[in-house]
Amino acid sequence: MADHSPEDNRLALKVVFYGPALSGKTTNLMQLHSLLNPQRKGELMVLETRDDRTLFFDMLPIGLKGDSGLDLRLKLYTVPGQVQHDSTRKAVLSRADAVVFVADSQTSQQDNNATAFGNLEENLEKVGLDIDTLPMAVQFNKRDLPGVVDEAELQQRWANTPWSPLQMAAALHGKGVIETFRVLLDRLYTEVDREFALETGHGIDRDTFIRQLSAASEEIRA
Amino acid sequence: MRNFEDDPTLEDLLTADQLQRLNRMLSALCREPVEIGSARETDAVALEFNLETVGWLSGGSSEQERVAAADLVAFLMMFIAKYRLAANLHHDTTEASYAELQKQNEALRASEARYRALSDQLQDKVDEQVAVIKQAQMDLYESARLRSVGQLAAGVAHEINNPIGFISSNLKVAGDYVNDLRELVPDTDQNRELLNDFSDLIGESSDGTRRIASIVSDLKTFSSIDQADYTLCDVNELLSSAVHLLQTEYGHDVDILEKPGELPKISGHPSRLSQTFYNLLDNAAQALKLRESGTERGRILAKTTVTSDGIQVVIQDNGCGIAEDIRERVFDAFFTSRPVGAGTGLGLTVAQDTIRAHRGSIQIDSREGTGTRVTLFLPVS
Ligand SMILES: Nc1nc2c(ncn2[C@@H]2O[C@H](COP(=O)(O)OP(=O)(O)O)[C@@H](O)[C@H]2O)c(=O)[nH]1
Ligand SMILES: [Mg+2]
Repeated sequence: MADHSPEDNRLALKVVFYGPALSGKTTNLMQLHSLLNPQRKGELMVLETRDDRTLFFDMLPIGLKGDSGLDLRLKLYTVPGQVQHDSTRKAVLSRADAVVFVADSQTSQQDNNATAFGNLEENLEKVGLDIDTLPMAVQFNKRDLPGVVDEAELQQRWANTPWSPLQMAAALHGKGVIETFRVLLDRLYTEVDREFALETGHGIDRDTFIRQLSAASEEIRA
Repeated sequence: MRNFEDDPTLEDLLTADQLQRLNRMLSALCREPVEIGSARETDAVALEFNLETVGWLSGGSSEQERVAAADLVAFLMMFIAKYRLAANLHHDTTEASYAELQKQNEALRASEARYRALSDQLQDKVDEQVAVIKQAQMDLYESARLRSVGQLAAGVAHEINNPIGFISSNLKVAGDYVNDLRELVPDTDQNRELLNDFSDLIGESSDGTRRIASIVSDLKTFSSIDQADYTLCDVNELLSSAVHLLQTEYGHDVDILEKPGELPKISGHPSRLSQTFYNLLDNAAQALKLRESGTERGRILAKTTVTSDGIQVVIQDNGCGIAEDIRERVFDAFFTSRPVGAGTGLGLTVAQDTIRAHRGSIQIDSREGTGTRVTLFLPVS
């Protein structure tokens, strides 16, 4: 749920990176932190990991200012993927404005992907969100590894869902991370503009929204 | 309530005490004392955390010094905030899990209570069912016994018919012989007295055989051994033999008034109809027995009339009546308000089934302590 406070002209949005354990959610966030150069970027907070695994969550705040002076914040969260942290996942997922589902492309991980996706559906329902209307992007990560499911096969499998086409990524090498994020921003913009009139009320059009929030470090800022 | 993810304020991150200490330590490092606060002084530098200005740092000897101090504070703030976030999240999820557990616990408790109640009820239900089964068993036994007694009676009646036949014709011939003897023996007072007595004996015996013959005929009609299926029945005849049989059973304690009307014959099952009439008459007789003493003499009325499209049979008594609370249950199989052995409890159910099989209807009007009227309606075709 977008957190809008008109008195100080602020709008805070929440994006959650969801997926099975070890699919690369934290890696996605770390890459965004180092690759992105948005108008405003906070510190990446990695909360307590043990053996490389997220115990609580990771969080990266980024932001941009509109012509109207609107202070727009995006907080990017990851959830812990392991089964036993379901209540943490639910807490982080509640009031989310958008979700990036990070799946693991390895053949051996397809069951885990399915389980995690089912868990996402279930938890969305529990926190009162609707998977069919929530802006979401689906990424298949670890494309650099051997023994991954064929892309054509994956695309075909997901062809009849609202999340087609899928995003392919090798987050560890920074590939596909920003692309996924942009697809998400595009879908998110539609919803947020509808509700808060970003374009007409604050002079933030779709292109500005996506470009300003996902500008890569090497790109020249507009 | 605040969420774990709400942006922390300066007060969230540091207590007043800690803030004071931080100010002292920073001042010791700087050339001029610095101070952190939530109000913006003229030369203040913003303390940023997570894109959020959480406070302002003022004082110091130069802008450079203020910026350096603010950077240091922001760096420290990061770790404090991390801890806060983790702690808040932990608190939130623990609370949510606890609430969930409590809900589950409650649900569990409720279902346990339900099962306990169910198991208590189960014992009652089992007891109840056992009683019903026992009753049904006794009733079945009783009705089987009655049925076989009925069959036996019918069989005996059939067998008795022949000897009764020749006994009565022999008695008639014997009566003629007595009259012949009057011509042959000397006419003395002693002989006359003897022959008169003899004639009376034969007359009484003939009466006896006639009564036996009539009982046998009623029994035969009642059990209708000869007619297995639907035939044209004379309802008056069936009712009458049931009345006679009942009279035989109860002797002259009950007055039964028969008021047969002119009836067309109807298609029916004679033995089942007889059984029904008998059951209803038997109920009436029982009701008379249970009548309060000192009331008028018990009477049963058995009346038949013809209606526009059928015939009506009324069996009415001035007995104890049926209590209001059980009136609705009188047709339930095995329901009986009488002590076991006195009745099968099947009487009214059988009656109802039979009347329904004849596409007729049965109606009961009763007032406790005053009497009961059962009205049967049977269609003609
Ligand atoms: N080969 C390969 N490894 C990856 C990729 N993305 C993440 N990993 C590795 O997968 C492991 C789990 O990643 P992490 O981001 O912590 O997963 P999370 O549990 O979803 O947060 C780490 O060892 C990463 O280095 C990728 O694209 N390719
Ligand atoms: Mg992680």
